[in-house]
Amino acid sequence: MKKLHLNNRAKWSKSIIFSLVFLVLGFMLSYSYSLSKSQEETGDFTGGAFFEQEEQYRKELIEQQERNKALREELGEKQAAVQKFEQSFLEGESHETDFAKEAEALRHALGLLPVQGSGLVVTLQDGAYNPDSVNPNDYIVHESHIFQVINELYISGAEAVSINGQRIHANSHIVCTGPVITVDGVQYPAPFIISAIGKPDVLASSMKLAGGVMDQLVNDNVVVTLDEGQTISMPAFLTES
Amino acid sequence: MWLSVLGLLLGISLGLLTDMQIPSEYANYLSIAVLASLDTLFGGIRAHLQHMYDDKVFVSGFFFNIILAAGLAFLGVHLGIDLYLAAIFAFGVRLFQNIAVIRRLLLAKWTNKKETEESLG
Repeated sequence: MKKLHLNNRAKWSKSIIFSLVFLVLGFMLSYSYSLSKSQEETGDFTGGAFFEQEEQYRKELIEQQERNKALREELGEKQAAVQKFEQSFLEGESHETDFAKEAEALRHALGLLPVQGSGLVVTLQDGAYNPDSVNPNDYIVHESHIFQVINELYISGAEAVSINGQRIHANSHIVCTGPVITVDGVQYPAPFIISAIGKPDVLASSMKLAGGVMDQLVNDNVVVTLDEGQTISMPAFLTES
Repeated sequence: MWLSVLGLLLGISLGLLTDMQIPSEYANYLSIAVLASLDTLFGGIRAHLQHMYDDKVFVSGFFFNIILAAGLAFLGVHLGIDLYLAAIFAFGVRLFQNIAVIRRLLLAKWTNKKETEESLG
């Protein structure tokens, strides 16, 4: 160990240089070691991660495609439904006016609308007092007479009928209460003016049939007057009473 | 002596703790540099055993070889020639030679010592 005899300064500088050399050496060794190790790891890792990622992306893609397919099917269904709806709408449009007309006609038939038109007015009046007759029922107007007239008018195509201005409808009731007649709860005395809207000549001729309503009424001593030239207006049936 | 051991430990710990990542193509340069430094180290040990050791030669050789090896590899990569193989070959051969010389010297020293002890004893 000759070097121990060198002076302190040289020794110190030498050991510093050596330590520097060894520092670099150690750094390089350990760094390359850790680098190769980490590269191996990362290589493995990146490879695995790559495949994993690819797998994941593939799965996602498949999912997306499936979803697209489902959505496309749904879209097709929806479009078909829309087309169907449009088709039905088109068909419905052509029917709409018919329906409206039908509704109008039905409303007329139900008496929900005021009507106006030509028709026939039949006036039934009690017969003149007959002293020979014991029973006054023989010469006054009964509900059956009114029924006969109304039925005859309806059969002959009357579209609307009213008694003394009271509209008759499907559920109307006509009751004979002594000398007066109750139509839907409203009492009317004679004479009874039965108005019917329809073809005036048809209505009149049907009334005047031989052995028909008119003859029967005359037979029962009822005074019947027919008036077929008027324009008749009827109010709407509103009250249910 | 203890200062150089400390330097070695410090370098190792620094290298292990360094979390810096370099591209894989530069790892070649580092391995060549490591090889060069090892070669220089063993060359220094041999020179010491042969009583030819010189501080300046050792230190300058150490750093210069590292830089030269890395530079050669760099040049090789850019010229399309695998010059780092030449560096590895040269340093590898020299490393083995140095180690062989060191072994022989040590063996000779050991046998000499034994013989002298026996002769003395």
